[in-house]
Amino acid sequence: MTLPGRTAYRDELTSLAADNPRILCLEADLGGRGHPFAAAYPDRFFNVGIAEGTMIDMAAGLAEGGYQPFVSTFAPFAALRAAESLKLALGYLGAGVTVVAPYAGVSGGWFGTTHHCLEDFAVLRAVPGVTVAAPHGEEEMRAVIRRAARTGEPHYIRTGRNAAPVSLPWEGTDPPVVNWDDAGAGAGRICLVSVGEVGTELCLAVRRARPDLPHAHLCFVDQPHLERAAAELAERFDRFIVVEEHRPAGSVGSALALLLPGREVRSVNAGDRWPVHGGSHEQVLDELGLNEGALWKALTSYEVPPGATSAGEGEQT
Amino acid sequence: MTAVTIEAGLPGLALAPFPATTPATVASPLRQRALAARRMVIDMAATPTGCHLGGSLSVMDILIAALDRTATDPDSEVVLSKGHAAAGLYAALYVTGILEEDPVPHYGGATHHFTGHPGPSVEGVRFPTGSLGHGAPYALGWALSRRLAGTPGLGIAVLGDGELQEGLVWETCQVAAAQRVGNLIVVVDRNGGQNDGLVADISPEPRLAERFDAFGFEVRQVDGHDVDALRDLFEPDRSDRERPLAVIADTVKGKGLRPVEGKAASHYVTIDARRAAAWKEIVR
Repeated sequence: MTLPGRTAYRDELTSLAADNPRILCLEADLGGRGHPFAAAYPDRFFNVGIAEGTMIDMAAGLAEGGYQPFVSTFAPFAALRAAESLKLALGYLGAGVTVVAPYAGVSGGWFGTTHHCLEDFAVLRAVPGVTVAAPHGEEEMRAVIRRAARTGEPHYIRTGRNAAPVSLPWEGTDPPVVNWDDAGAGAGRICLVSVGEVGTELCLAVRRARPDLPHAHLCFVDQPHLERAAAELAERFDRFIVVEEHRPAGSVGSALALLLPGREVRSVNAGDRWPVHGGSHEQVLDELGLNEGALWKALTSYEVPPGATSAGEGEQT
Repeated sequence: MTAVTIEAGLPGLALAPFPATTPATVASPLRQRALAARRMVIDMAATPTGCHLGGSLSVMDILIAALDRTATDPDSEVVLSKGHAAAGLYAALYVTGILEEDPVPHYGGATHHFTGHPGPSVEGVRFPTGSLGHGAPYALGWALSRRLAGTPGLGIAVLGDGELQEGLVWETCQVAAAQRVGNLIVVVDRNGGQNDGLVADISPEPRLAERFDAFGFEVRQVDGHDVDALRDLFEPDRSDRERPLAVIADTVKGKGLRPVEGKAASHYVTIDARRAAAWKEIVR
């Protein structure tokens, strides 16, 4: 039993705050009820109300005043509504603020397009100085939160709504630049590159059917991390399929394509359509064509999918 | 008002010497400091880029008073939220002794950081402003940090009245009042102008004091050019206050420079060196 990313965040931050009195927790009316941090440290918990831009600029003032503010609101409201505050406070000023953004991608399902965010990598990756992470599972989320608290550097951390995948294991304190999941994989194969909860789960599903395919999981996707990841990827493979719950523009796949000249980089992503219908997270992903079938379809040029798996329609190159 | 002799050696005076006709015993040190800074702003208007002259002159007395309050108090910060008055901020920081480098020769120039809107690489600039509204929530966070630390420091945000059209300002007022951050001071440089004309014509702000009061602020309406009175406003320890303070400072765009005073066209001005020399003679 693992915790969803946003629950793991709250729990880890509350634990860290026991030994770090400088940690503050700010919410914008989308996480305050029953928050363990609020119960444990009410004097360091601030529900500022529905005021995302103010929350992030205000967090910069708190950081400059010697504190470590962690702020959280849904990804669309953090990355898009408050984008300018992120640019100025976390980027230009370099304030030690951590933003944790649940409801990334279309994890809000039936909540609809206003509550989806398929654009946050495009925005945040373009802001120099911000560590951008898309942890997969509880352990990765906890490790990224610990990293943010330890370094005091600006972080943007995207997560989903209630999905609770199991993190891939790794050695060391922080998730590695590339977490290789390639036991049994053959040399010279096309390498799956996964980002975030959905991308990683899709790659793991394909790996279960075809363990001979190598899989490289990325937790950190800001430009400095991707440059290091690209160098490591290029040492081992020449062909890649990047899988992520994001639009093609500004995606990790597009960044890796630029960082890997002469290598073949394809992308399986959420496309350019608006997710106008309701349904579960998985159903909205199906509507956008981001599913296992789409990944198999992208692989058909190179690999034979298992007979029971039907191809989807969501491949974008 | 106490009459004092002009302080020799104030930063900025060497660059912009007082005219011989200026009475030497009529103004307080802060007024002298403001005058020196106004001369620097005129010089910055005479650089190739020109500068936001009108707003830099209207806000000058507010900045001089606020920076004098915070210059020797590391627990208090001033944020110029109306960042387009960067020339005024640089000058005020310089004459207050916070900024060591004279900004005038470098204003707007390549390879120098004295840009038309201020960034944090300039000593004394706390937050990058110019995109309006952001200085207020930053100051709110700073003020809250002082309250959490148990120190009496202030967070002072200096806004323009045109800037009040930004929603972020009122979002911040809502949060500041709800969190009872009484050591936040929001100063409005009410010069009545904005980029495209008059605030009253473009998006009027009637009953401004009532608005701040309704949000839960203490409100003071003052002469925004009485630098000594402004300085007094910033003096008290507000660590036990629960209501933030809004200071509505009535000012004149282009204040001190009769050819441009009150004129919307003074918003952004580029002049030549000859005019700058003449204006520095008459500015007050």
